[in-house]
Amino acid sequence: MNRIVLIAGILITIALVVVLAAGLGKDPQHIDSQLIGKEAPDFALKAVGTGETIDLTQFRGKPLVVNFWATWCRPCYEEHPVLVANAQMMQGQVQFLGVVFQDKEEKIQQFLNERGTAYPTLVDMGGKTAIAYGVGGVPETFFLNKNGKVVAKFEGPIDPDTLQQNVRKAMTQ
Amino acid sequence: MKKLLLLLAFATTLFAQGVKVPDAEQFVGPPKGQPVTGALLDEQANQTAGLLRCPVCQGMSVADSPSEMAVNMKHQVRDLIARGYTQEQILRYFERSYGQFVLLKPKFQGVNTLVWILPIVALAVGIFAIFSMMGKGGSQPVDEPPASAADEDPYLAEVRKLTGKQS
Repeated sequence: MNRIVLIAGILITIALVVVLAAGLGKDPQHIDSQLIGKEAPDFALKAVGTGETIDLTQFRGKPLVVNFWATWCRPCYEEHPVLVANAQMMQGQVQFLGVVFQDKEEKIQQFLNERGTAYPTLVDMGGKTAIAYGVGGVPETFFLNKNGKVVAKFEGPIDPDTLQQNVRKAMTQ
Repeated sequence: MKKLLLLLAFATTLFAQGVKVPDAEQFVGPPKGQPVTGALLDEQANQTAGLLRCPVCQGMSVADSPSEMAVNMKHQVRDLIARGYTQEQILRYFERSYGQFVLLKPKFQGVNTLVWILPIVALAVGIFAIFSMMGKGGSQPVDEPPASAADEDPYLAEVRKLTGKQS
């Protein structure tokens, strides 16, 4: 009997250690995207500055980089120049879009005036677009292929290499 | 009522600007229930929001979190219930975006099954172990009294044998 209890105890301890080790290695804020391989939710949002309504579907036929950000997010300051430089470099081949949520239009405009931009920045009032994309925090970047299918998602401030790698994926998949 | 009117005004403004946000109907179909208003709407919205995990918090529900993300999600839950969406449809809609991570009560499927089954199995094993030990304890033979010094000493044993005494 004692042997059975001992074996059961060892098995339960091993299972607990395995589960805890797997959990500790994970970022608690990381959310696996449910959209990979699926068609990206459509939206048409107002662009900051011009007031023009930009519809996601108007870019079908071209890979898209959709970046969710906000002016109150410090890592977004870090990645902004990376996105702008790459958008300029890949102009005509890849379309970049910024989607700002939980923010004020004046602040966004001020941010863009100070730091410059190379692509439309849209305002997601009420955050419904961010929710439909499963955004858990900013910045988050989605890569869509020419058919509007999500091929990759990146959480956090993106670096040039990761951006290029995912753009290539969006161009080929 | 005032909140509902504000929501309606906000939706009308968005529509007038040509703004289109992803809608639940696109993902979970048309509402399966009846539109809800008043106190029942508040109650149902709170209940459903209580089943959703706030994605930017540490283990807090959308109903309890004061974060802007949770507030936005709560508004959306309320809006969907007002339109007649059922709790099952609403949970499915959020699950489609965030996965099972967003459900505070894990579904009884896949690896999650262990979350439901393991505590019951552990409890059953524990009860079995306790009862087995108790049963064994009752039938255990009484320990022999410790051997006396005389039993161990061959000289003393021999003397006892000769004199016919046992202790």
